[in-house]
Amino acid sequence: MRAPYDQIRTLYRTLVVFATVAVVILAVGLVEFVYFEPPGQTTGARARIVGVFGYDSTTGNVVGTDRSTFTRNEEFAAEVSWSGLPDSLSVDARWYDAFGSMVGRLGQSTPAKLGNYSIVQVIVPPGLHHNLPGHYTFVVERLQGGMPVEVLARRIVLVES
Amino acid sequence: MSTHTHTTPPAANPHPRLRPGRYGIAAAVAAVVVIALIASSLLNYVYLDTIPGRTSLYGLLAVALISLGTYIGVRAFTRDRASRNKHLIRAGVLLGLGVLLWLLVIDIFVFTQSAGPGVAAICAIACLPTTAFGLLVIRRVDRNEKEPWRLVVVAAAWGAIVATSLVIWGESLWEATAQRTLVPGPGLDASIAFSAGAFEELAKGTAVVLLFLVMRNDFDDVVDGIVYGAAVGLGFNFMESVAYMTNLYAIFTPEGYGWYAAGFQWYGRQVLGLFFGHTTYTAFIGAGLGVARQLPHKRQKAFAIVSGFLIAIAAHFSWDAWVTFFPINNTLFGLVEIHLRTLIMTGPFTALLIALLLFGIRYEALALSDQFRKEAASGSGAILPEEVPILASPWRRLQQRLRAFSRGGLGAYLKVARLQSAQLDLAMERWHRERQEIDTPLEAEDALRTRVIQLRHWVPA
Repeated sequence: MRAPYDQIRTLYRTLVVFATVAVVILAVGLVEFVYFEPPGQTTGARARIVGVFGYDSTTGNVVGTDRSTFTRNEEFAAEVSWSGLPDSLSVDARWYDAFGSMVGRLGQSTPAKLGNYSIVQVIVPPGLHHNLPGHYTFVVERLQGGMPVEVLARRIVLVES
Repeated sequence: MSTHTHTTPPAANPHPRLRPGRYGIAAAVAAVVVIALIASSLLNYVYLDTIPGRTSLYGLLAVALISLGTYIGVRAFTRDRASRNKHLIRAGVLLGLGVLLWLLVIDIFVFTQSAGPGVAAICAIACLPTTAFGLLVIRRVDRNEKEPWRLVVVAAAWGAIVATSLVIWGESLWEATAQRTLVPGPGLDASIAFSAGAFEELAKGTAVVLLFLVMRNDFDDVVDGIVYGAAVGLGFNFMESVAYMTNLYAIFTPEGYGWYAAGFQWYGRQVLGLFFGHTTYTAFIGAGLGVARQLPHKRQKAFAIVSGFLIAIAAHFSWDAWVTFFPINNTLFGLVEIHLRTLIMTGPFTALLIALLLFGIRYEALALSDQFRKEAASGSGAILPEEVPILASPWRRLQQRLRAFSRGGLGAYLKVARLQSAQLDLAMERWHRERQEIDTPLEAEDALRTRVIQLRHWVPA
């Protein structure tokens, strides 16, 4: 006579099926990571960030000295030197706030075409009066097929709460 | 020879040593947790901003006090009556000191810094009833044998205090490194989501693993595992809610809607997401451990435990990595979108968990019914044949208690409840013994049977 079926096996198998789905989800995540962070994308080119300064929106120019911290109601911008970058590259520059939202952008274009546009200011998000506090990341990126694939320069500043 | 008189069935067992081997594993896990906490706090103090660093260092003492108090408190219930009160008082003093110190640290150095102690207190008070409601619900889903409140609360406290402390350093280091090396965008988001899923679920899951190793008598099956896992998740969700609410209050107050931002967080995490996010994730870890509890082979046990962790990590990862793919419009329809997003992204995982839970409850109920019948047939007197259909049905058990209440008031209700609980314990013990998944001797079962018969004398006819 056969032993009665132990239902713990059903629970175990169900769990293993769910775990298989979990592995698929994590694999999709890995593929996503590799797609947006493709390996072997190092050109050796480096952009130069002149500095992060206060920004005068009436004149459109940077003011003061290079700084790493700002208050919430201060306007600020990064200055980039495009010289030294090969003209064959497609590049842009972006600001990201502490929540990972893009809050400023210049480009995409070639370094030669961007030559006269060197200031990238942080724009206060619509509906807000001040910048949100936290660490802001400024990156100069190389793009391929419209997608950033390499960071050519990076600078992190703090907006104090 | 031991001089203790045990109130619970004797803990001695056929194992050659005084304690089962799993206690050694539990001690090793606890040691790793303590070392990780110490290392995390010291590194935070040295490398992070001064104030969070101090918080972490001072908080370490609070965590140590709470851990020690918890251990003594939980183990107190396995001691004899004479020394139980002494151990409970010790545990209470340690827990009280730990909680006070922790609140002091949190309020003064963290929340006060961003939003002030008043706001932190209001946020914590707002989250307490919802979290308590969550704990009440998840404890009640175990219809046949409810877990002791002390363990459910300990699980939630671990999630709130120990697990959150464990992940600070790991996640901070990962995030700081990723932000300085990766291309901002979905790849960076995926990387940080991997970190959150892995670190947070491992930290929360450690609590469930320790309960599984140390409190085996109260960790019977998949249902118990889900209850403990969900309790840890609710605790973690509580602390995370308070942190996010105070932080967003501080951020958006200069814009004129700090309370709106905090309230929105409260709704998202304490109402809409109460049973979805962390509660669901960690419940899967508990489910894996609960299934492992009843599997015969070590390889299957390991597979079940790893499966639980994998599901939890994947569910957590999927939310953190892909939530940005479901943007919320800044319109009235946005309110609908928020609910739909939670349902679409976390709903399937919660549905799978509920399926496991329902199957587990049914499996447990069938097994207990079988044991009720066998015990009744044995003629021991612990379970009478006419009691079998009543004990097999939670609804009929409640009716029996209510009848006792109408006849003899609250005292009679509680006596019947104690008798039913003891009969369920006996059936559960029989079930585990029949399946050969228990390490207490047969005397333990006899002691339970004697207890049932003693309780029956106190219950009015």
